[in-house]
Amino acid sequence: MKLKFTWKIWLWLIFLILALISIFITPTFLQKGVLVKSVNQNSSIFEQGLRTEQVITAIDGKTINNVDDYFKIMQSKFPATENVKTIITTSGGEYSIYSNKVPEITVSNLPKTNLKTGLDLSGGARALVQAKDHKLTSSEVNDLVNVVSNRLNVYGFSDISIKAVSDSPIPGRGNNYMSVEAAGKTPKELENLISQQGKFEAKIGNETVFIGGEKDITNVARSGQGVGISCPSGQSGVNGYYCQFQFTISMSQKAAERQAAITNNLSVVSSSSGKNYLSKPLDLYLDDKFYSNLSISSDLKGQVTTQISIEGSGTGLTLQDASNAAQDEMKKLQTVLMTGSLPFQLEIVKIDTISPTLGQTFTKYILIAGVASLLTVVVIIFIKYKKWKLAIPPLIICTSEIIITLGIAAIIKQDLDLPGIAGILAAIGTGVDDQIVVLDEARTKEALSIKQRIKRAFTIILGAYFTAAVSLLPLLWAGAGLLKGFAIMSLIGITLGVLITRPAFADIVNMIEE
Amino acid sequence: MEKGKFKERFTKFHDKNYKLLILIPVALLLFGFVYMGFFYSQHHDFIYKDVSLTGGTTATVNVIDKPIDINNLKNAISGKLEGVNIREISDLITNKQTAIVVETKSDSQITKTVLENYLGYSLDEQNSSFEFTRSGLSENFYKQLLIAVLIAFVLMAIVVFIQFKTIVPSLTVISCAFADIFMTLVTANILGLQISTAGIVAFLMLIGYSVDTDILLTTKAIKRDNGSLNKRLFESFKTGITMTLTAIFSVSVSLIIIGSFSSILSQIFTIMLIGLIFDIINTWVTNASIIKWYALKKQKKHEA
Repeated sequence: MKLKFTWKIWLWLIFLILALISIFITPTFLQKGVLVKSVNQNSSIFEQGLRTEQVITAIDGKTINNVDDYFKIMQSKFPATENVKTIITTSGGEYSIYSNKVPEITVSNLPKTNLKTGLDLSGGARALVQAKDHKLTSSEVNDLVNVVSNRLNVYGFSDISIKAVSDSPIPGRGNNYMSVEAAGKTPKELENLISQQGKFEAKIGNETVFIGGEKDITNVARSGQGVGISCPSGQSGVNGYYCQFQFTISMSQKAAERQAAITNNLSVVSSSSGKNYLSKPLDLYLDDKFYSNLSISSDLKGQVTTQISIEGSGTGLTLQDASNAAQDEMKKLQTVLMTGSLPFQLEIVKIDTISPTLGQTFTKYILIAGVASLLTVVVIIFIKYKKWKLAIPPLIICTSEIIITLGIAAIIKQDLDLPGIAGILAAIGTGVDDQIVVLDEARTKEALSIKQRIKRAFTIILGAYFTAAVSLLPLLWAGAGLLKGFAIMSLIGITLGVLITRPAFADIVNMIEE
Repeated sequence: MEKGKFKERFTKFHDKNYKLLILIPVALLLFGFVYMGFFYSQHHDFIYKDVSLTGGTTATVNVIDKPIDINNLKNAISGKLEGVNIREISDLITNKQTAIVVETKSDSQITKTVLENYLGYSLDEQNSSFEFTRSGLSENFYKQLLIAVLIAFVLMAIVVFIQFKTIVPSLTVISCAFADIFMTLVTANILGLQISTAGIVAFLMLIGYSVDTDILLTTKAIKRDNGSLNKRLFESFKTGITMTLTAIFSVSVSLIIIGSFSSILSQIFTIMLIGLIFDIINTWVTNASIIKWYALKKQKKHEA
C-alpha cells in the first residue's frame, strides 16, 4: 500500500500533535521541584515575595525533587526549640527565614499534565450559596463574591475559586448562586466563612459603639504586642481545657467619640478584686447573638480612645485542641472585624466535600472501562468486516478523539469531572456510529466513486451531529452549571469529530479500499 | 444458499406484514401510558428520584481495614436518619469492600454525627465524602432538568424538520426518539431505578443516540433512489444494527467494569443500555414500517 496522505489526514495529525503538546507541555515542563500551592499572607516569607505557582527547587542547598524530599527536610528541622535559618531556593529567587515553625506554605508535586481533574476525582469541597428569604440579583451576587473573596484572603485561604453562577441563559432570569470551590484538602473553617453573615456589633447597653468593617475599624492587629493566646494551666472543667485569646483593634475617630459619649453617662463600680469598672460592660454580638463582654476600666469613662482590646476563648478536650480552637476563633473574629458583614443572611443550599482517596481508584476504573469498550468496538468491527485493516483505524481514531478532546479541555481550562468523562464517552460513541456509516457507505456495491459514497455518508453524519449538538445546549445552564462538564466535553468531542477526525477516517478508509 | 432463501422469505413476510408490525410498538406504548398514568397517580411524579433530586445527603465512607456490616449499620441508623438507603462499593477483582454509600434525606451534619457515633471514629475529608443538597435546590434542579430535556427535544425536532423538509418522515423520526425515551422511562420505573441528576442527563443522551439510526434509515429510504426500496432498507438495517449493537456491547462492558463504583456512570450506562435496546424496536420496526408505507404510497402516486 502506497501511503499518500491527504490534507484531511495531515490536519488530523497536526491536531493530534498540538493536543499532545497542550496536554503534556506544562509551564514547569522538565523542571524539578515542588510547586507552591498557597502562602499565608501574614507570614514573613510572603512579605519577602514568595508566591503561589513558584517552584521550590532546593532548601538549604539540598535539591528538592518531590513532596517527599520537601517533607523529609521540614520534618528533620521543625519544630525547633529556637529560631533556625531556612533558605528556600525557588524559580523566582531565594528567600531566607528565621523561625522555629514550619514555613506557612503548602506545596504539591509538579503537575505532569495541564489537565485539571474536577473535585469528584481529585477531592475537595464545593458549595452553592444563596441568600435566605431573598432572591439574589446578579449584581448582588457579584458584590457577595467580592466580599467573600476578600474575607477568605484575609483569613489566609488562597486556593479557592469563588464565582457567581446562574442557571439561566437569559440575564436577569433564573436563580443566581455564589459557587465556592476548594481543591484538595477541605479547610475546616470554609463552611463558616462562606455562610456566616459575620455581623459584628459592640454595644454598651443597647447603644451601638461600633460594628465590624472598614467604616468603624481602621486596623486589626494580628501580631505583636497585645496579641496572643494564653492557656491557664489546670483549667480542666466539663468542657476540658480552655484558652483565651486577645488582640487589639483601632477604631475610627467617630466610633471612639461615640464610645466616649456613651461611657460618660455610666457610673463607676468597684469589683471584688478592688479594680474600678464602669457600670455597664462592652457587649460583643456576632450575627445578633451574644458573643462575650468586656469590662471597661473606670479610667476610660468619657475618654476618646481609639485603641481597644478584644478578648475571647476557645475550649477543647486537650490543651492543644483548646489552643487551636482559640486560635481559629481569634482568626475568625479578626476576619469579620476587618471585612465587615456580608450584605445578606446566607444559606448553603449545596455542599459537597469529596475525599481524594476514592477518586484515584475511580480514575483507574474509568481507564480500564474505556480501554475495554474500545476493544469491544474493534472486535465487533472485525467480526462484521473480517479485516483487521478496517478494525484498527476506528481504534486509532477513537483514541485520537479522546486525546484531542482532552487537549482542548487543557487549553480552555475545563475541569475534567465525572459528568465530563461521561460526555467524552458519549462523543466517542457517536464517533463509532459515524465510522460504521463511513465503512458501510464506502463498501456499497454501487457504481459510485468512493468520493461520492463518502460524501453521502457525511450527509447522514452531519444530520446526526446537528441533532445531538442542539440537544446538549440546554445543559450548559440547567442545574447551576454542575452538569456543564458533560455538555462541554461532548460538544467538543462531537464537533472535532465531525470537523477533523471523522473526515480523516474517511480518507484513511479511502486509502485502504483503493 | 440458505441465507439467500431466508432473505427472500423475510422480504416476502415484511412486504405482507410491515403495517401489522407497527402494532408491536403501539401496544408497548399503550401499556406504557397506562402504567405511567398509574405511576403518576400514586407518586405524583414521573420517576423515582434519588437524594440528588429530592434533597438530602449522600455519604461515602472509605473502608480502611475491616469491612462494615451493612445490615447492622442499617438497623442502627434507620431510626435516626430519614429514608436511609445503603449500598457498598467493592473492588472489581478482589471483591473486597472498599466503601459504603449511605443516602438519606437528613442533612449532612446530622448524617455525619450519626455515622460517627456508629463507627466510633471521626469522619474527615480523608476517610469520607459528603454530598448534601437542600430540598429546595434539588426541586429547582429537577424542574430545570426536565425543562432542559424538553428544550433539547424541541431543538432536535426542529433540526430534523429542517433536514427532511417533509412532514411524515420528520414526525416519524421524532416520535421514534420520543418512544425510546418514554419506553426507557417506563422500564426504569418498573425496575425501581432511583434517578439522579446524572440519570436525567442519560435521557438527554438518548435523544442523540436514538436519532442517528433513524436519520440513517430515513435518508437512505427517501433521499436516495438506487436499488429497490427493500434493498435500501435492508442495507441501512445492516449498518444501523451494527451501530446499535456496538454501542450496546461497549456500554455493557463499561457497566460491568464500573459496576457499583460510580453511581453516576453506572446509572448513565444502565439507562443508555435500556434505551438502545428499545431503539432497535423503534427504528427497525416502527420507523422502518412507517417509512416503507410512506415511500410506497409516494411511489404509487408517482406512477399514477
